[in-house]
Amino acid sequence: MVRFALVLVTLGLTAVSAGAQAPSIRIGFASAMSGPAAITGEGVRWGAALAVEEINAKGGVMGRKLEAFFADNKAQPGEAVSAVRKLVDVDQVDVIIGQTHSGACLGAMPVVKEVGVPMVIEACSHPQIRAMSGKGGNEWTFRVALDDEIMAYTFARYIARQGVKTTSILAMNNDFGRGAATAYDAAFKKVGVKLLSTEFFDPGQPDYRPVLTRLKRASPESITAIILASDGAPFMRQYRELGLTQKIFSRGSLASAEFLYQVRDNPKIGDGVIEAGYWLTGLDPDWDKKWTERYKVPPRIHGSLAAITLKWAVVPALEIALKKSGKADRQTIRAALEEVDVKDSPLGPIKFDANHQAWINMILIEIHDGQLRVLEKLPTSPALLN
Amino acid sequence: MRRAAGWALAVVVVSAPWLVAVAVPRQQRYVLHVLIFTALFAALALSYDLVVGHVGSLSLAHPAFFGIGAYAAAILATRAGWPFLADVLGAVLVAAVVAAVVGVPLFRLTEHAFAVGTLGLALVAWIVANNWVEVTRGPLCVTGIPKPVLGVGSGPALTVTTLPGYYWLALSALAAVVLLYRRLTTFRLGRAFHAVRDNEPLAGAAGINPLKYRLLAFTIAGALAGGVGALYVHYLSVMCPEEMTIGLTVNLLVIVFLGGVGSLRGVLLGAVLFTALPEALRLAPTWRLVIYGLLLLLVVVRSPEGLESLLRRAGARRAAV
Amino acid sequence: MGASKWPPNPQTLGTAPARPSRSSVTGCATQGPRNGCPQTPKRSERPGEAVALLGYATGAELIFDLLEQVLHGLTLGAMYAMVAAGLALMLGVARLINFAHGEFFMLGAYAFWYAYSELGLPYALAALVAPAVMVLFGVVYQRTVIRAILPRSWHVQLIATLATSIVLTNLAIIVLGTQPKEVPTALSSRILDVGGFRVAWQRIVVLVAALVMFWGLQRFVGRTRIGRAMRAMSQNREACAVVGVDVQRVTLVTFGLSAALAAVAAALVSPLFNIFPDMGTALTLKAFAAVVAGGFGYVNGAIAASFLIGITEALAGTYVSYAYKDAIAFVIMIVVLLWRPQGLFGRRIGI
Repeated sequence: MVRFALVLVTLGLTAVSAGAQAPSIRIGFASAMSGPAAITGEGVRWGAALAVEEINAKGGVMGRKLEAFFADNKAQPGEAVSAVRKLVDVDQVDVIIGQTHSGACLGAMPVVKEVGVPMVIEACSHPQIRAMSGKGGNEWTFRVALDDEIMAYTFARYIARQGVKTTSILAMNNDFGRGAATAYDAAFKKVGVKLLSTEFFDPGQPDYRPVLTRLKRASPESITAIILASDGAPFMRQYRELGLTQKIFSRGSLASAEFLYQVRDNPKIGDGVIEAGYWLTGLDPDWDKKWTERYKVPPRIHGSLAAITLKWAVVPALEIALKKSGKADRQTIRAALEEVDVKDSPLGPIKFDANHQAWINMILIEIHDGQLRVLEKLPTSPALLN
Repeated sequence: MRRAAGWALAVVVVSAPWLVAVAVPRQQRYVLHVLIFTALFAALALSYDLVVGHVGSLSLAHPAFFGIGAYAAAILATRAGWPFLADVLGAVLVAAVVAAVVGVPLFRLTEHAFAVGTLGLALVAWIVANNWVEVTRGPLCVTGIPKPVLGVGSGPALTVTTLPGYYWLALSALAAVVLLYRRLTTFRLGRAFHAVRDNEPLAGAAGINPLKYRLLAFTIAGALAGGVGALYVHYLSVMCPEEMTIGLTVNLLVIVFLGGVGSLRGVLLGAVLFTALPEALRLAPTWRLVIYGLLLLLVVVRSPEGLESLLRRAGARRAAV
Repeated sequence: MGASKWPPNPQTLGTAPARPSRSSVTGCATQGPRNGCPQTPKRSERPGEAVALLGYATGAELIFDLLEQVLHGLTLGAMYAMVAAGLALMLGVARLINFAHGEFFMLGAYAFWYAYSELGLPYALAALVAPAVMVLFGVVYQRTVIRAILPRSWHVQLIATLATSIVLTNLAIIVLGTQPKEVPTALSSRILDVGGFRVAWQRIVVLVAALVMFWGLQRFVGRTRIGRAMRAMSQNREACAVVGVDVQRVTLVTFGLSAALAAVAAALVSPLFNIFPDMGTALTLKAFAAVVAGGFGYVNGAIAASFLIGITEALAGTYVSYAYKDAIAFVIMIVVLLWRPQGLFGRRIGI
């Protein structure tokens, strides 16, 4: 009888203590976890896991631990809808970070609005996202990353200042490349650099010789390459093979630790490339170290962006929400995101404007002597769009 | 007894939104979304089965017709401002015309060349969708496709905005496809198709023109695939080239062969399993693909008639006992 | 290989390559459109117009560039040919459609990478390790999957091998990771520069090795017992079994040969490009296009079609449209099928 009572009491106490522990805050991460773009999803998964661990090790956010949930959008809009619904209904997340690829972002946006879950976009580059968010109609989507409409004019002006008169664009044939190519086409016109030709290539295809020959014939002074590190390595090798000497200006992740790792047999192969971006290794050396120790490869851009979005956009929002109302649910997080005002994230200031766009810094990076170095750090603002 | 079971099933299927709301209230939107996809996929798989199962032509071109219909509807709705019913009809017609036009030369080829030819068609269609930016916007996608509006002219109209609404729309489409499928695969027409599939020379000798019947099945299948594509884009409001890659063919092959090629019940079963199972399994995405592959491999090697035949055999055994 | 020069020297920027030596130009001018010499443009009567149309200053420049592109196309074609030959062999001898063939290439590339980069073997040895590993893999694959599907309809074969392809590709992602692997070798970094005509030595190795392999294949099929058995089987399988040919053994050897060819192609080409799990898929499709265009099961036809595809891809990619170049293989295939449904070389029997 006594034993029975003891058991009951113990059970009761456990139940009470379990209830007393504050529930964790659930963060959903959606990216391309399978398919041809799986490398981006892998990065996001790794970055998210590392960041959540980091935060929880410090005691969580105001005592509340974070729990990460993942969903696969296969870089397709249809799958993005499934991913959002799974995260929202099955995993019951309070906020989503994703979707990395513009097609997926566009598919997900109507659903997060219908369901009422805030989504902070870490990398989609489609300019329409900005127009459709915030006062543009969708109060639930926020974006940390810059798109090329924002960056093109600044970069084009820099290129013109170097004395370059002509250029040719070589871009990835996806949402990122096409969007950038359109933006730079317009920007080059404005700054007086003549665009001789625009070529597109399929990411993952390894044969650049025909397009390099076309570029050789067009004879531009410079090439504006919109390309990621994994394609950048074969591209640069074949570029040097053909003996081309154009100056390369890039967008993507050509001037990155990932690229230098791919060409580590000959790191100077990329010397002279100048890239405009908003992230590179070295912005947060602590993070780089943790990443390299854990994953044994250089930090990946999408994983690092997801982590920064979590740590410097979502976590401050959580803090604001908890301080104000003691609750961190979808509505309070959404409202809190509109009040986030972080001055010193690795990407620069994070403060969402009326279209829920954060105007982070643009950086110009150069590959010099087989290493990366920051040439300039430029703040951005809506004025750049004029 | 079986008729009663059939009616009960129909009632369950139609009232699914309410049943789901009661059974899993927190997850109902997700479950309804999965059901919508299942219905659309089932319709697509049935159209595919017409070609693969009933005339025996291994076409790998289905994503092309799905994509052509999807883009046709998307462009007609956004650029030309056509109303919903009109752009779906337009999508069906465009897909049918393309199927008929490419079908003629394709069916003159030998079986192997036909398969590879249809594969080439699917690839070329994707490449065009991805690069003909003036029309399809390529990777930048067609956005802002409006919600379906059921109505004609300026009369009363019903706008489909809720998940149950989409579900019933998809279900109606599936029902129409099922009825058409049954009509096409039974009676004289069905027998003609099967004659062409099972013994082409004999069919020819009996006065059944194989080319004509294959082309008929191919065109109807393409038209239906285009229609499903049109409904798909109105559900998502976005259409990107990634939706019409060869991966879709693999999914359709899994559904049709897993469930039971050439059988209505089998294909429906396959569609339900294929769409519902992965959601229940909750595995890492890349592992999921490995499992699909292994499953497809196992099924096609051990039991190419699919699960349906296993069920039938089990049913027959039970009846014999 | 030099860092880029900045600020650029205006005289050297974007100038046309140095004029080719007289001998190469006249050599082609006298020999005409054979022996790898480019065809003179047929577009207009006046060569000057065509030359200017394509963006060149002189006819010599045009021919020089064309030559470069044709050589590049030959290298591409060699890669496609080695893969397509294996596919055609299996189709001809064993009546097997193998949609997982590209994965032989992919796994061979990874085997080569492992031998060269991780184990540090010298290039030639690593390039032999790859086919050795793939022959073993081929045997295992044959014993497990192929044996089960060989007697079945080709529908079953296509779907089963397609399924295998998915399994292998995704297992590769899981085990080897999505990060592409680079395997630069001494020969891929050394550039042969002949009067402005620049090509990495590795490309020449690819071409020479491919030609050697095809010559070797011909001799193998023509001179050895097993080779002749393969040829006999491709002509009349039933008769072979009756006469006492060990059908199983010959099939196994064909399989191993096919896998080895793909692996050698991978070892040759990997230093020029990079290695990633998805690389086999596109290759399988192009190889099939070549096999179909060449006449199902006719190995020499597949090889010829592959070179045609390679050269057309290089030329079309340079002069017509780079974005659409991957469609070339299929456009060629479709054109051939419409014009000669039995393939370029007709219903040839035998490999």
